[in-house]
Amino acid sequence: MEDYVSVDSDDDYDYLYYDDGTEDGGDSDRLEFAETKADADSQSVNVKVITRESLLAAQREDLRKVMDVLSLKEHHARSLLIHYRWDVNQLLSGLVEKGKDKLYAEVGVTILEHRDLVSSNFSSSKAKKSTVLCEICFEKVPTNVATTMDCGHVFCNTCWTKHFIVKIKGGQSRRIRCMAHKCNSICDEEKIRMLVSTRDPILAEKFDRFLLESYIEDNKKVKWCPSTPHCGNALRIDDCNLCEVECACGLKFCFKCSSEAHSPCSCQMWELWSQKCRDESETVNWITVNTKPCPKCLKPVEKNGGCNHVHCICGQHFCWHCGRPDKFHGGYHSCGRYTEDEQKTRNAKRDLQRYMHYYDRYKAHKHSSELESKLQKTMKKKMSELEAREITSKDYSWATEGLNRLFRSRQILSYSYPFAYYMFGDIFGSEMTKQEKVIKQHLFEDQQQQLEAHVERLSSFLEAPFNEYPDNEVITLRMEIINFSTVVDKLCRKLYECIENDLLGCLTRTSQSIAPYMSNGMDKASEVTDCKGL
Amino acid sequence: MIDFARVQKELQECGKDVEGSGIRVAPKSDATLARLVGTIPGPIGTPYEGGVFQIDITLPDGYPFEPPKMQFSTKVWHPNISSQSGAICLDILKDQWSPALTLKTALLSVQALLSAPEPDDPQDAVVAKQYLKDYQTFISTARYWTETFAKTSSRGIEEKVQKLVEMGFPEAQARTTLESVGGDENLALEKLCSG
Repeated sequence: MEDYVSVDSDDDYDYLYYDDGTEDGGDSDRLEFAETKADADSQSVNVKVITRESLLAAQREDLRKVMDVLSLKEHHARSLLIHYRWDVNQLLSGLVEKGKDKLYAEVGVTILEHRDLVSSNFSSSKAKKSTVLCEICFEKVPTNVATTMDCGHVFCNTCWTKHFIVKIKGGQSRRIRCMAHKCNSICDEEKIRMLVSTRDPILAEKFDRFLLESYIEDNKKVKWCPSTPHCGNALRIDDCNLCEVECACGLKFCFKCSSEAHSPCSCQMWELWSQKCRDESETVNWITVNTKPCPKCLKPVEKNGGCNHVHCICGQHFCWHCGRPDKFHGGYHSCGRYTEDEQKTRNAKRDLQRYMHYYDRYKAHKHSSELESKLQKTMKKKMSELEAREITSKDYSWATEGLNRLFRSRQILSYSYPFAYYMFGDIFGSEMTKQEKVIKQHLFEDQQQQLEAHVERLSSFLEAPFNEYPDNEVITLRMEIINFSTVVDKLCRKLYECIENDLLGCLTRTSQSIAPYMSNGMDKASEVTDCKGL
Repeated sequence: MIDFARVQKELQECGKDVEGSGIRVAPKSDATLARLVGTIPGPIGTPYEGGVFQIDITLPDGYPFEPPKMQFSTKVWHPNISSQSGAICLDILKDQWSPALTLKTALLSVQALLSAPEPDDPQDAVVAKQYLKDYQTFISTARYWTETFAKTSSRGIEEKVQKLVEMGFPEAQARTTLESVGGDENLALEKLCSG
């Protein structure tokens, strides 16, 4: 946790530093450019791609750390890490705070003091008596078909197996507890694997997979790539919570909400927007009617019983009526109270017109972006033609860089419309006075307009048939493209500053954060390098 | 598949101790053991005292590895039991279920819930609110519901009329007043006293 705080504040510092730079030396463009470059580098995020094959290697490091510090077996370390959502630091601070015994008891890790007892368990108990009463099926069974867990509870293998199968199929592989009432102890995964595989080998394999995938699903630093059809990859980031990343499969997405990259829209804005734009398919309809998102893991939860006190599979309890996680509002349910929603009495027609305005512009930039992506091909052709000609300069990086700049800024422009739709719409209605809103809207729109104008110019330069130009005109065009690229970069940065400081920064009641501006584009994931410990 | 052998054994075990615990479990019909009816006496010293409460039990396929579904079929006024549907909010019937628990122990827990409501974690918001804000009304409503729904009423009414007559009220008046308050002798007495 602390890591994140320090990283965030570093970022803030960078921005402040940059602010000072513009005010003091605003006339010196070169200096400013150098500074922005450094800024962009410091924001770069370490992104790793985890493939099906490297999943074990990726978690080995964390497991090793815990196994070494606490001298534990792997399955105990895994139970602890799952409990702490694979956050080693939090686990260690929990250890300091609570002490080993209390922490183990809370998680359900039981460590046998005398290890030799475990192995000789069967034979020694066999010597004493040959049968044991299983308190689940109420049958007397020979001890060789009963299993004792680390917590000391004995039940027959048939009952254990049935228990494990129900739990695995119920999606609870990560914390299968002992069958005894109020026994918190997590069952030894070795024993589970052994028993389940004799009855259902495929399910045993699934169990292993579920345990491995806990590293992805219970971990805030790791996410599945949201590609469809799924590329099989997950991505891990090291030091930043809110960013946009590019998977090895080429998909770019927001790490926080797993939807397409949408900065400068916040995740909430983007979700509202895409929901608004989406054709409401039957599935979506069904999910909205029949499920509610869990307040902890945000997965849709379907209610399968009469009681309104719902438990999500992640362990979170919440109220079905209002979706709040707190223990039923400290006292009794009060979510049934009717509170008048003023916003509902708005003018629907005006609202639709407003939406269409923003939607048209959002779509227009998307469309331009699609057209411009064809430029990439023609650009290559033009460059090779130029290269064939014997002219002074052989370096055409300005053309590709200009094109990349165009793609990025087009993207930002496009998403700045849904942002504006919500920013100056109703969701923050009570946060700003009408007057404030008007002033801020003008401020934002001026910036946006300026960026838009420059992006269009850059686009027209890049579309020019410069392969047919005489040398001197190519050089002039090159200057123009370099200049406009720099200005567009600067304007994008300014737009982000305006959004982060003047608009979102002023909100007091709601916190909306956006993935920071990446001048050099998104971070592309690299392969997990196997840790040294192996 | 439900472990019917275990259910059979549970029924036998439970049958042995009906005198001691007052708790009964019986199949709803001869056709299947998957649907049962449990009966618990209202705990002494609570507004449920004297009542006999019936609970519908449905065993899921995974029983005993999945919790049995239980629901009051007798109407009851309690913060953790829905006054509409009879749904019970009890942890052991959900994520705290353990295969080592039985129908009898689960019913004992339900009985314990009757004597120790948990209004901070309610099933029925209205009841919970009344419990916290106006305990006296809660007690009398719960008692009234017990009288009305959890007792074999016809014989009860005669006894109550007799009681009121012994207190000195005319029989006809006692009977109509009792009827007007739905059989609760305390409410009837209040009404009779206030004129």
